[in-house]
Amino acid sequence: MRLKIVQNEQIAKDTFVLKVDNPGLFEVLPGQFFMVKINDYPFPLLRRPFSVAGFSDTIDFIYRVVGEGTRILTTKEKGEFIDILGPLGNGFSINSTKKLLLVGGGIGVAPLLYLKSVIESEYKIRCDAYFGFNSKDEIFTDDGNIATMDGSAGFKGNVVEMVEDKLNSDVLVYACGPTLMLRRLAFLCFEANCSMQVSLESRMACGIGVCLGCVVQTADNRYKKVCVDGPVFDFEEIQWQAL
Amino acid sequence: MASSLVVKLGNLIFKNPVLTASGTFGYGLEYKKYMDLNKLGGFIVKGLSVKEKLGNKPPRIVETPCGMLNAIGLQNIGVDRFIEEKLPKLENLNTHVIANIYGSEVSEFVEIAEKLDKEPKISAIEVNVSCPNVSAGGALFGKDPDMVFVLTASIKKVFSRPVIVKLTPNVEDIAFIAQAAEKGGADAVSLINTITGMVIDTKTKKPLLANKTGGLSGPAIYPVGVRMVYEVYEKVKIPIIGVGGIYSSDIALQYIMAGATLIQVGTANFIDPAISLEILKGIGEYLESEGIESISKLIGIAHAD
Repeated sequence: MRLKIVQNEQIAKDTFVLKVDNPGLFEVLPGQFFMVKINDYPFPLLRRPFSVAGFSDTIDFIYRVVGEGTRILTTKEKGEFIDILGPLGNGFSINSTKKLLLVGGGIGVAPLLYLKSVIESEYKIRCDAYFGFNSKDEIFTDDGNIATMDGSAGFKGNVVEMVEDKLNSDVLVYACGPTLMLRRLAFLCFEANCSMQVSLESRMACGIGVCLGCVVQTADNRYKKVCVDGPVFDFEEIQWQAL
Repeated sequence: MASSLVVKLGNLIFKNPVLTASGTFGYGLEYKKYMDLNKLGGFIVKGLSVKEKLGNKPPRIVETPCGMLNAIGLQNIGVDRFIEEKLPKLENLNTHVIANIYGSEVSEFVEIAEKLDKEPKISAIEVNVSCPNVSAGGALFGKDPDMVFVLTASIKKVFSRPVIVKLTPNVEDIAFIAQAAEKGGADAVSLINTITGMVIDTKTKKPLLANKTGGLSGPAIYPVGVRMVYEVYEKVKIPIIGVGGIYSSDIALQYIMAGATLIQVGTANFIDPAISLEILKGIGEYLESEGIESISKLIGIAHAD
């Protein structure tokens, strides 16, 4: 789909929001993603997977500039067209019988913002959100409790430390963020007998289950595709030590 | 009157020369949502081994300038499950389904070919002697002309329809290997498979792929593919299937002019799932605009004095 860019602006250090016209898609689940084509062929070659950070009149993505592709993306202006493929992947499943806890780190906060809005507006239930960033200048939301590694805003330290004492069997955690953060959180969830749905990132070429580039190792020593089996997994499915 | 896009490979007739390459098109079914598969000349399914293969550890892919490096390691469900689970869903398609096959020894290739010979929906098999990402078989076979000869001849004994041998570019003289395949009875050769490469992660100071090396594909490699098709065309009589970095009709036409009877679209499928049909459309438009009545007139035309 070639869609018109409604907004593409910097919202924090190295972090941009990209909003494109919603072509009338019936539904996009929180946790689903789109493959965004940066340029016409052939450079950069591959599309970039971006999870959905908001869905209404526009489809919203929040992305961090990490390489040449995302740097080029920052130069796209309102009114230009951009080719996106999706929605792809499975998305989070919402269980309203448990106490819901959102734990995000860095750019991994993006899909949780959309999840939070759906939980609150459609399911009318409360959820507590804890979002971690390296420092104040990287923060792109005020819709949750904030931790920063350098203590320049909110709680000083890792977001996982902030939620450690809140994990128990009545809680369902929704998480997305850097691998190390997720691994630590998974360990604590195992210990506390707490459920967790985790959205994983991976290098992928196609996003539709064909290239087999994005696989993660599962607890039974097999592989699952992040693009079509995920990106959201039950944390117990994943072999965390292999990540 | 529209120009004819029909091409032949052995006794197989293809409605057009556009195929999709193994490893970039799943089992075909994944693309049904994005395109009408019947419009393709045919498609080549993911490489099949005797038993299911899990493939290599991740990371398995990395992007490079105008290309990508992959080390998937032939992850597939195995020939039996393919026949049971996937093939019935392909039965009603009006296009050629070609099975790519892989083994770590000759007997494994033969076993798969025997099984597929009983499946009439499989129009041809493409023998993978060129995967750079597996420790046994793969490109090791493809670098040895005697092995290519023996393997091709062995498969020809058990498979009654066309046998295509897919060659590796990671050799000194690809035409020499193509001749060995032809001598073994191959009905066609596909070239090229990926070019072995490596990317080093400067943060960890180690190769980025878990397999260390991978196969380079994408637009970056098309000049190598065109050159190799050109060279092989002068040395063999059997049809050549050109593959490597095709992402536009212009590049597809270059392969055809170099000597390819058919072409395969590979990595570009990952970026635009329906791109092979765009390429097909562009080839047709070119023929019309040049006033050429048949695609066959273009095959190898770059060799003319």
